[in-house]
Amino acid sequence: MSPLREAFALPCLFLTVALLGGLRLGGDVRLVPPPLVALVLALLLTGSLVRSGVFTPERLLNQRRTGIENACGTVVLLALFGASAQIFNLLTPDSGLLHVLVSVFFLVQLLTTLTAVRDRIAMLRSLAVLLGCAFFLRFIALESLYAPGRGVIKRVMTALMEGITLGALDYVPTGGATGYVAFLTLTLYLIGLVLMPTGRDNAASTAVLWQPAEPDELHGDLPALRRE
Amino acid sequence: MRESVVRTAGLAGTVLYGAAIVWMYAAQPQTVAEVTGGLTSTIGAYRIDQQAFEDGLAFFRRDQFEEARAALSRADPAGRDTLTQFYIAYTCYRQGWGRVYNDDALFKNGLQAVDRAIALAPDHRLVVDDPNLGMRTADELRAELQRGLTRDASDFNPLRLIRPRR
Repeated sequence: MSPLREAFALPCLFLTVALLGGLRLGGDVRLVPPPLVALVLALLLTGSLVRSGVFTPERLLNQRRTGIENACGTVVLLALFGASAQIFNLLTPDSGLLHVLVSVFFLVQLLTTLTAVRDRIAMLRSLAVLLGCAFFLRFIALESLYAPGRGVIKRVMTALMEGITLGALDYVPTGGATGYVAFLTLTLYLIGLVLMPTGRDNAASTAVLWQPAEPDELHGDLPALRRE
Repeated sequence: MRESVVRTAGLAGTVLYGAAIVWMYAAQPQTVAEVTGGLTSTIGAYRIDQQAFEDGLAFFRRDQFEEARAALSRADPAGRDTLTQFYIAYTCYRQGWGRVYNDDALFKNGLQAVDRAIALAPDHRLVVDDPNLGMRTADELRAELQRGLTRDASDFNPLRLIRPRR
């Protein structure tokens, strides 16, 4: 991975996601910090990304790299964690029963992914679908349902849902502009994940990381294999 | 050599960007002027519009409080200057003050402005050397605004009708 990508592109992308993830453009401008559950989900997501090979932490942090290289790698990892937390903050409704339901949905989905998905491409596809669905649910379905000045049918539907859940299923619309910012944020996050270093994209670097044992160590007293 | 320069520059830029993001989440700015003003004031580079400040002061001394507030707000769009915020609070006090009752909305705005002034002042202490003012410290002004917003038995004291505006 080039130093430009590691020192500039990735931190800039992820920090922008961290900034925009909490932005709510309603009647006033609010910057919402991530709740505790978003940090837990971000930790699970980071673990899933590592296990599925979306990125290889050894490419960012290892003892063969210099101090400044390791510092850059640490910054990328921290920025990725912050961006992941803000992505969950963005896609989860801010309060109420919907906040709990969506958080539990994310938790279960991430635990399943953590244990099942082992392939980089499959993980990226799975994550894009998961985040895309959550985006659709919050910024298209719920925003449309709870938008101010909605029609009679929508008002009846929301009143019924709130009545059935004894008022727990409440949602405060964030405003139309927030949806566009959320779309941009989600796109930047996925681009950032694609740009993360893997163990496969640089053969030379991988070769340095994986040093094969000496033939004698492998075969003991057996005669070493000869190559023609 | 070149690679380490790129990495060092990237690291420094990232740290600055991250610090700016943390500041924005802590300060919750509402306008672009507040963002730029807040960031420049943290490095000591924030300057008010001196001409607008002088205009505001002149309006204030002629008891033209709406005009004074407009000019003072233009002078300090980010709300980062102690003295300007103090005078904004004072315009709210003088305009909102009444013998029988005070204008609560103006007093609330004044309280917010004087709170900003106190928060920005060194050691949270602000003394303004202006002979035209009845209260020369931010603490006095704050207490007066706070008293104006409080409802208690002293509100029914008939002597209130002869109290002077400060």
